[in-house]
Order: sequence, then C-alpha cells, then structure tokens
Amino acid sequence: MKPFRHINVPGVAEAVDYLNKFPGSSRLIAGGTDLLGVLKDDILPAYPELLINIKAIPGLDYLREDENGLSIGALVKLAFLARSPLVREKYKVLADAARSVGTPQLRNMATVGGNLGQETRCWYYRYPHGIGGRIQCQRKGSGPCLAVGGDNRYHVIMGGKGCFAACPSDLATALAALEGSIKTEGAGGGRIISIGEFFHPLGNALKAGEMIVELQVPPLPAGSRQHWLKYTLREPVDFAVVSVAVLTVLEAGICREARIALGAVAPGPLRALQAEQFLKGKEPIPEVLQEAAVLAVQGAKPLSKNGYKVEIARVLVLRALEASFAGHK
Amino acid sequence: MQREYRFIGRETARKDGLGIVRGREKFIDDLKLPGMLQAKILRSPHPHALIKYIDTSRAAKLDGVKAVLTYKDTPPWKGGLPPHLGVLSNVLRYTGDAVALVAAETEEAAEMALDYIDVEYVPLEAVYDAEEAIKPGAPQLYPQFPGNSFPLACPWMGENSLQEVAMGDVERGFAEADIVVEGSCRYDNIPNPLPLEPPGVIAAWEGPRDLTVWSSTQTPYFLKMMLHYTMGRINVRSIAAHCGGSFGTKAVPWQLVFYAAALARVSKRPVKLFYSKAEHFAAYTLRLGSAFSGKIGIKKDGRVMAVAGEWLINSGYCSDAAQGMVAVGCGEVQLLIRCPNWAVKPKLVCTNRNASKMVRGYGGQELEAAFLPVLNLALAKAGVDPFVFFKQNYVKPGDDYFWRDGNRWVCRGIDYSAAMEKGAEVFGWKEKWKGWLKPSSVDGPHRTGVGVGVHGNADVGEDVSEAYVRLDPDATCVIYSCVSEHGTGQRSSLCKMVAEVLNIPLEAVSLAPPDSLVNPYEFGPVGSRGTYAIGSAVIRAAEDAKRKLLSRGAALFQCPAEELETKDGFIFRKDDPENKLPWKATGFDQTYMGYGRFEPDFSVPNFVMIFVEVEVDMETGKIAVKRVVGATDVGQIIDPQSLLHQMHGCLGSAGLDSAIFEESVLDKKLGRILNPNMVDYKWRTFLELPVFEAVILETPINTHLFNSVGFGEIVTSPAPSAVLMAVSNAVGRFFDTYPITPEMILQTPGKGRLKA
Repeated sequence: MKPFRHINVPGVAEAVDYLNKFPGSSRLIAGGTDLLGVLKDDILPAYPELLINIKAIPGLDYLREDENGLSIGALVKLAFLARSPLVREKYKVLADAARSVGTPQLRNMATVGGNLGQETRCWYYRYPHGIGGRIQCQRKGSGPCLAVGGDNRYHVIMGGKGCFAACPSDLATALAALEGSIKTEGAGGGRIISIGEFFHPLGNALKAGEMIVELQVPPLPAGSRQHWLKYTLREPVDFAVVSVAVLTVLEAGICREARIALGAVAPGPLRALQAEQFLKGKEPIPEVLQEAAVLAVQGAKPLSKNGYKVEIARVLVLRALEASFAGHK
Repeated sequence: MQREYRFIGRETARKDGLGIVRGREKFIDDLKLPGMLQAKILRSPHPHALIKYIDTSRAAKLDGVKAVLTYKDTPPWKGGLPPHLGVLSNVLRYTGDAVALVAAETEEAAEMALDYIDVEYVPLEAVYDAEEAIKPGAPQLYPQFPGNSFPLACPWMGENSLQEVAMGDVERGFAEADIVVEGSCRYDNIPNPLPLEPPGVIAAWEGPRDLTVWSSTQTPYFLKMMLHYTMGRINVRSIAAHCGGSFGTKAVPWQLVFYAAALARVSKRPVKLFYSKAEHFAAYTLRLGSAFSGKIGIKKDGRVMAVAGEWLINSGYCSDAAQGMVAVGCGEVQLLIRCPNWAVKPKLVCTNRNASKMVRGYGGQELEAAFLPVLNLALAKAGVDPFVFFKQNYVKPGDDYFWRDGNRWVCRGIDYSAAMEKGAEVFGWKEKWKGWLKPSSVDGPHRTGVGVGVHGNADVGEDVSEAYVRLDPDATCVIYSCVSEHGTGQRSSLCKMVAEVLNIPLEAVSLAPPDSLVNPYEFGPVGSRGTYAIGSAVIRAAEDAKRKLLSRGAALFQCPAEELETKDGFIFRKDDPENKLPWKATGFDQTYMGYGRFEPDFSVPNFVMIFVEVEVDMETGKIAVKRVVGATDVGQIIDPQSLLHQMHGCLGSAGLDSAIFEESVLDKKLGRILNPNMVDYKWRTFLELPVFEAVILETPINTHLFNSVGFGEIVTSPAPSAVLMAVSNAVGRFFDTYPITPEMILQTPGKGRLKA
C-alpha cells in the first residue's frame, strides 16, 4: 500500500470539514473493509492523501424506532443489524441482507454507511494496478467500458449507461423494498435521498464533501410480510449475482401491496413496478406469481454474457413472492 | 491386518503443531536479514509487446531505492525447458511479464519507484487459445519455437522421456470395436492452486559464485540444483522456510530467485521478493490448459479396443515443467484404461497468458479431465456402469505401462478392487446410479446426480532420495533429509518412521533444518513420493545407524550384533532385555551416522477413487456438491490425521471445484486475468464443505519396512471429471467444458416453470 495520512475526527462536522478541505484527495474510513482493498490494489488514478477516520465518532451507531419508522446510524455494524431482534422481527429483509454480506469478521467491521457507499465490484474497475496497470473507464473519469465487449457475466442487465457495473450493496436492495432513504451531511447542510435516487450508473448521488449519516425506513404497511433471497456462486463471502427483496400485504386472500426490489441487475436497486402493479388486487395463485416474475425483468437488455441473470432474477422473484405470501397466515 | 506399531498408524501430535498454533514457525515473510532490501516488479500492461525504450533514471534517484534493473543489465541466467527465459527480456509475452526490477529499503519505496520508470512499448498481436496459436500466421512468441510449439523432450526424466501414448495398431482396434465415438473436451479454465501463502524468496550473495537462497519452496535441494544449472553453475545454498502451502507450485520458484539474486548482486545487499496476492493470482502459476479430441473404440462389454487423438496443452507464455507433466500424464492415463492400441499425440503450445507450471495432478489431472468425458460417450452408448468400468480397468499387479522415462514397467503393487468396492458401498453407488444421463433423484427443480473418477500415480517412487540419521550418545537422534514442511505433515511423519525403527520416543527424534548445506540430495516431497521414496531413504539411514550402534554394542555384550536390540536408548540382548546398557555406554563421545538412499521405482502406483453426489437447481443453474466419498488403499497408514486431511484436499487447490467454479477468468481481448483476488476467484470456504467420507484400506504393499505408499498429491485429479459426470447425469446431457456454469445449466431445454 502507498503511504497516506490518517486522522481521527470527533464528529460529523469535523469529518465534513476535512472532506471539504481536501476535495478529491481524502476518503472517509469506517470499517475499511472495502476501502483497504481499493487502496491495496491501487485501482484509482488519484491515491488519497488523507483518510478521515469516522469510526470513533460517538453516537453514530444507533438503532431507533419511533412513529416515523426505523433510523439506523451510519456507523451501525452489519453484524449488529443482522443480530438485532427488532430488525429481525420487523425489518426481516434488512437483517437477512446484512447477514448475507461477507464473513463474520467483515460484518463485525463493516458499517451500513460503508455498505451503501462501497466501490463497485466490476472487475475491470477493480483490476489491480500492480499487474500491468489499472484500467481506466468512464466511472474513473474517462475511457470506454471494457465490460461491454468483454466478460460481463456479473454486470447489469438493465439501466447501464457509460458504466455497466452492478450495484454491489445488499442493504440497498433490502432498503428499496422497504422504501428507505439515506440522510446525509455536507458543507451546505444535510439532505435526504431516497434509496431509488441514490445510485446512478457512474456512481452515487453523494456530492464532494458529503457523507452518509443515517438510513431511514418509514413505517411498514400493516400486516406486511417480507422475504430476502440472494443468489451467489458460493454461499459465503460472495457478492450477489442477483438478489431479491420483497414485501407483500395480503388481505382476505387478495394481494393489497407488493414491493419487489432486485439487486445486482442494475446500477442501483431496481423496483419491479410493473410486476408490483400487476399483483395488486389479485389472488397470489401460481399463475399470477409466475406472470409477475416474468414482468419483473421485462425489458431487460442483457449484455453478451449475462443473459442467464435474467432467468435467475425471474426465478428468485417467483420464489421470494411464494415465500412471502406463504408467510401470511 | 498389519502388525502393531508404536507410532506408525497412530495419532501423534505434529512436530510443528504448537509452533504453528502459537505463531512461532517462521514463514518466508517472517524472515528478516540485516540490511535486507525489498523488491518489486514493474509488470507489462500488454499481453505481447516489445520494449522500445526504457529509462529508469527517475526511479533510481528516489529515496531508498538501491537498484533498478532492466533487460539491459541483468545477468545471462536462463531458465525454462528447454532454456528460453532470461531474467528479463525486451520481449514481453503476457500481461504481467516482468519489465523492470526495483530493490529499495522499504516495500513502499520500491512500489513507489515503479511509477517512475519510463517505458515505451510496441504492442504486438497476442494469442490465447492453443488452437489459434498453432495455426499458420498466428503471432509467434519465440523464434526458436515455430508454430508456438515446444519440443516435448524432458531430459531430466531420461533420454527417452515419454512424449506420447503409442502402442499396438489403433486401426485394427477400431475395426474390432463394437462402438466407436468421436468427441472433444476442454479443461482449460486454468484454475489457480492458490496455497494460502504467496510465493517468496530472499537472495544473498556470500561470494561472487556463492548464493544463499531462503524460500517458501517445498523442495529445497531440487531448487539448489535447478539454480546451479540455470545460473551458470554457481554454488547455491538453498534453505526452506516453513511453507504456507504449495500444491506443487512452490517447488522451484526459479524466476523469483533470478529477480531477487540479480538485485542482490547489484545492490550488494540481501533482497527479499514476496509476491502480493494479485501477483500470486495473475503472475505466478496456473494449471495447464488441456483439450483432448479424438476417437475411442470399445466392445459392448466396455473393453477399450483403441484410443486415438490429439492432446493439446496450453502452457501459457513459457514452460518449465510442462514436458514432464505431459510425460506423467501420458503414463497416468494408461493406469486408468486397459487398452492394447493407443495413438495419443500431445502438442504443447505457448500463448500470451500467465504461465502454467508445476501443479499437483501434474499432467494426469489435465489429460484425464479432458479425455474421460469423451470416453464417457462410449460407455454411455454401451450402457456400461463407469464404476464397474474403472474397477475392471484400473491397473493391477502384472499389468504393464510405459512411464515417464519411456520404459515399460510392470505393476508389482496391489489390486485396489477391494477399496473400490468398499468406496462404492459407503457411497451407495448401486442405489444411486440409475444409468447414463439419469438423475438419482428429482425433487421439484432439484435433481441429484452421481459421478465417479479414479486416478493413480506411479511417481510415488520417482527420483532419488538420500538421508542421514545420526544417533547421539544422549539417546536422541537427528534426521538429515532435505524436506520442508509444506502442510502435509511430512517432516513429522519421517520422524515417526525413524522413531519406529530405533524404538525411541518420538520426542527424541528431530529433523535437521531444510537446508542444502547440511542435508544430502533430496528430490523433495512431490508426486506423493514422501512416504515411499523419502521414507525409504530415511528408514534405511535409521537402520544403517542402528546397525553401527549395535555392532559397537556387540563388543560390550560379547555377542554377535544380530543378537542385540535397542529400545528407548538402551542396548540389550534380545533374550535378556533386563540387562541393558545406554547408548552412551558405547562411548559418551560417540555418534553413529547412518546413510540411506532410494533409487527410482515406477512399479507401484498408488490409487484414489472419488464418488460425488451433486444437486442441481434446474431453475437457477446452481450446482451444489452434496457428498463426496474418497476411497484408497495406502498399504499402511503412517499418520491418520495427515492422511484424512490429504483426502479432504480434493476439494481445493484447483481440484474438484475446477468443475463448477474455480477458474482464472482471462479476458481474451486484453489478455488480463480479471479475477485476481479471493472474492472474484471462487474458492470454497469451510462453511460450504460437502459431507466427506473417507474409505482407507491397509493392504500391505511391497515398498519398504512399513509396506506403505504415499497419497497426498493424487486426490484432486479424479474429481473434476467425476463432477462433470455427476452434473451430466443430474441434468440429462453431456458437458464438454469446464467449469459448468449456471448459464450452461440454464441452457438445458425444459428445465423450469418459467417461460420468457
């Protein structure tokens, strides 16, 4: 690893302050589980001079529930989220998504803020500098996306533009099904970004000098059930090939609400709105669920080597819906 | 039943067990010499290029930088088989090929300096597939190897090293066959054996022609000799650190030594080169690429009448062992199949990707993984059960085969049928085998299938081993055998053998450090040869020392030495064990040095059969390995835990999982390996282990005192083709390439509930 300066900050204001004093040459570090890999492989053209350590900021690792829903401090560890009885009971997809990340060691270090802010896993983007030099691309500022004509087996099947890397965050997928949002602080004050607006093909909505401070989940629809599924090539320590989070409401045998969020198929978590609309007011019989599963990825435009992700996405949606509706008893 | 032993076959603690658990064993990266510099390598961005211009002056001026070398100023050492690679070259042949070397006071300074080396390249056209590389007009990697084809001779295996499988008359064989199939299969996903520890070396010049090398090698003496020959006949002292796994790949890291030694010579300081994990992935050692295409003729009852075809082998940008692997592969396939008529022609090709070098399985795994799926087509047509087929075919005492030296050898080992039967029984083969392309069970979208594979190696008796055993007057002894500990527990097992021969406590036996300065010649623990070859040398040395001790004792007891015995450091008459004298009674200032030597013997193949049960989710393409049964007969177990762990080894290190997810993903436009990290290179973790059952028989084998053969190296080899067979049976169609991806499963017609 190349040398860098490392400072501890006592609060969010100081962190934002440093970010703005060192624009483009500083990075926040909390768990560091993603950032250290990025630095070791030296994948970015600009190596940070300064790492701003936010993990010791007091009071940013809270989990609170009130009439406005659930608030999660950015420094909450994935392990804590996965184990929390409250989250497991009421916000099941969030706990399951957190549990599906990495290894116990990683989850003990990794924070929810970091999970949302992590760099993409695109293997062209991540190519290590030490083996013939890093690969430039649009996401890094300029250059073609080599994945389009290359090996794109893990890339997006819809929504790519300029960059075709898939969203690596499992929490994002779960948050999308829960219609959550992200609270930030920046030089000009804070703002709230809905999870659907947070990711875009070339990165995320964070401006220079802005940081994630909280995740928010609004109150859940009464009687709703949830289900999480993640497809990986191997079970532990793997990023999703496709993930699905669903939330359903069933009244008198009729679907009153269905939310379907797909992960790792697009630059951000993708709500399958057409399928959700289709399900509303219908009895969730097998034919209906199968139709919804097909609708969920309608319009997908797979790249040369990832057509199989479309099929996996359909099956995961079907299975998640089946499981979620089966939970209404 | 074999006789009862005091240590052999019993659970004993590994000699280095506490040291490893307490973090006290020294691995290569733990070693620090006074004044030692750190090396880093600037690596080629192009898969094939010429260096047009290179200027290191900016880098050389940086703080802490002590040496920067390019092809212009490196020594004329030459490695490869035949020798074709210098330390550096102005021709770069893969993305990651070494362009320049830096040694600096710190790793950071060395790494920083790489960015200050100015290079202009002339990119050349590159070629990645062996099929393309041999076509006329393909880019040529070396002028001396036209058609990108390496000569197949492997001089260190003998003047007539095996270069094909050729015997009988294949045309007649095909005429006599009832069923003739033609087909091809590719096993060229170049998995990385990936021991935990990346490779590393430290080089220090003690004089102009005296080099000391510390390394993570598994074969320190063999490395000494290889360096002697490739570095201008210099004198090398080779010392092995504790080795953090090797799987063959760290046997002879001559290129790392070239780099570090070149830098050490210029800087006049010791230089350490320890690869990053990314370098380990993308610039070290891959498995050979392999493709078989040919014709196989069998009788209706499954007897193989003729095999003819081409074995195309992709060695990447160079070769240093591939010819040996071709020779051994050609031998091993004959152990599997009884067939009077063969015409299998290997072709060894270089391409513009990272090199394939020495890896466990050593040619046999590569050939069998590509050959057996073609044979399966014939067996399926004949409706022959593959287990029955393997049982009938696997080499038996009296059968003969051509081995790597080109000579015909007659098997004088044992019939492994009993182990196969027991393995099949434990696995439940009869119940689960429903016929070719038929699942064992179906549960909604989940289908299970079974497969079986077999492998063996007559290299368990390859090459020469020498050892000394020194008896000390304090009733302890020291073994001198140049073996490093690379994870199999071999050093501890050698101590057990000597303790057994001398009948002294295991604690009284120690092993000299793996240092070529103090130990005699030793080829090293490779090819499962530790038990038979190294074991024989060590046992003979212990017996020799014991003989010397007892002949001195004969004077004290005034009887012939043959009437004496020793136990726990005492000498006594066999008929009067109470009346005993300690070893030191023969002289408090007297040690006894015994010598033992083992000569190559290719007549005792070892054996493993792997049964696999997989579950395939036809809707998602997900393949799960549910259960594995490994069956073997080792003659006599030396160390039960070590053997069991060696059996478990079929799962990792470019073995079983190379059939379903282990692969190096090579972008064939860029020539770059895209997954050089532990997340994107899919590697099974302990959380996802299938049920594993081991069947181990102990039928005495005519090797040495303990009637035992080694096992470690072979266990990965039968697994990939067994998995391919199992998935084929689950899914209902044959596959002809590795790994089987979800995408390939999902291409199976009629597999699920959803229609697009």
